[in-house]
Amino acid sequence: MIALGLVLILGQALDAPPVKVKQYVAFAAESQTVAAGKRAVLELRFEVLPGYHVNSHVPRSELLIPTVVELPEDKGVTLGKAVYPAGVAYSFAIDPTEKLDVYEGGFKVLVPVTAAAGVHELKGSLRYQACNNAACYPPKKLDVDVLFTAK
Amino acid sequence: MLAGTFGLDLSLSKGLEFGVNQSLRSGLVVAGAVVVIALLFWAGVHNGRERRLAQQQMAPKMSMPEADRAGGDPAAGAGMTPALQGKVAPGFTLVDLDGKKVSLADYKGKPVLVNFWATWCGPCKIEMPWFQEFSQKYAGQGLVVLGLAADDASKTIIGGTARKLSVSYPILIADSKVEEAYGGVSYLPESFYVSKDGKILLETAGMSDDSGGKDEIEANIKKLIAAGGQ
Repeated sequence: MIALGLVLILGQALDAPPVKVKQYVAFAAESQTVAAGKRAVLELRFEVLPGYHVNSHVPRSELLIPTVVELPEDKGVTLGKAVYPAGVAYSFAIDPTEKLDVYEGGFKVLVPVTAAAGVHELKGSLRYQACNNAACYPPKKLDVDVLFTAK
Repeated sequence: MLAGTFGLDLSLSKGLEFGVNQSLRSGLVVAGAVVVIALLFWAGVHNGRERRLAQQQMAPKMSMPEADRAGGDPAAGAGMTPALQGKVAPGFTLVDLDGKKVSLADYKGKPVLVNFWATWCGPCKIEMPWFQEFSQKYAGQGLVVLGLAADDASKTIIGGTARKLSVSYPILIADSKVEEAYGGVSYLPESFYVSKDGKILLETAGMSDDSGGKDEIEANIKKLIAAGGQ
């Protein structure tokens, strides 16, 4: 009984939502189906909070922190190099001369994948640094839980 | 005697058998429990994964994060809640780009503008040349500007950025202790105007998103210089 109780508690802890951290980007956790054993592409959809922007994957200054998806490979899953969208030009109203390259609204990151048949879960993260038109926020990591079926 | 010996032998043998059975039974019970726990654990993880997959298939979620919507967000010129205003400025001792220790207490009796910034913060780098200009313009009235880099970048990068912006006022490397003391510094830029009596006269977060930003800073500096004599 004690063991059963411990297992139930552990199971609940694994299922419990993580501690909430202020985020400026949301991840659309959509299930995907790919062909087993063949090269396919996983689409990771993100949405930047209205009024905010994040640096693109290739910001115009080396001082700026790029947006990067970090996904670990899993058993039976081989990942290719992620493909990021181009950013859009952005300037702070007070300094229109300095152009930044950012993501606003929705953006998609494509991750090539080859997976064995079955259900796979990749627990990764999105590293980004957000600003609005007046301030910037320290770099953050957003949990990215990718669930997909290969069949 | 013989019977007695046999009887003794028999009871010894039974006792041994009982002991062996007891150990075997205990071992089997423990092994069984381990198997059951492992099965339950596997089933829990597996079911959880299947359940999440099913949930995602039913309704892809894209709930927007809360961010800083509930007040205190320095968007579009709105300021943060001035939590430290009117209080004694938290003291600190930090190192500058040359490794020299600099304390807020070193400037006791002077108006000090403490500005948190980072190399990755665009609005910060717009403001910094203004602070440089004002640090020189109001030096005669005792104004001191301290730039606290809340940044993981190396000292070389921080120093290079400051040089590129023609900043010559002291740049100190902030640590988590000073950031916490000044309210967490959850966004940048943040500035604290510390008057001559060591109290925080004003605190600002973010930058005004119009051409009035520089004028606003200068007006704040004038108030700072005028306030809190010793």
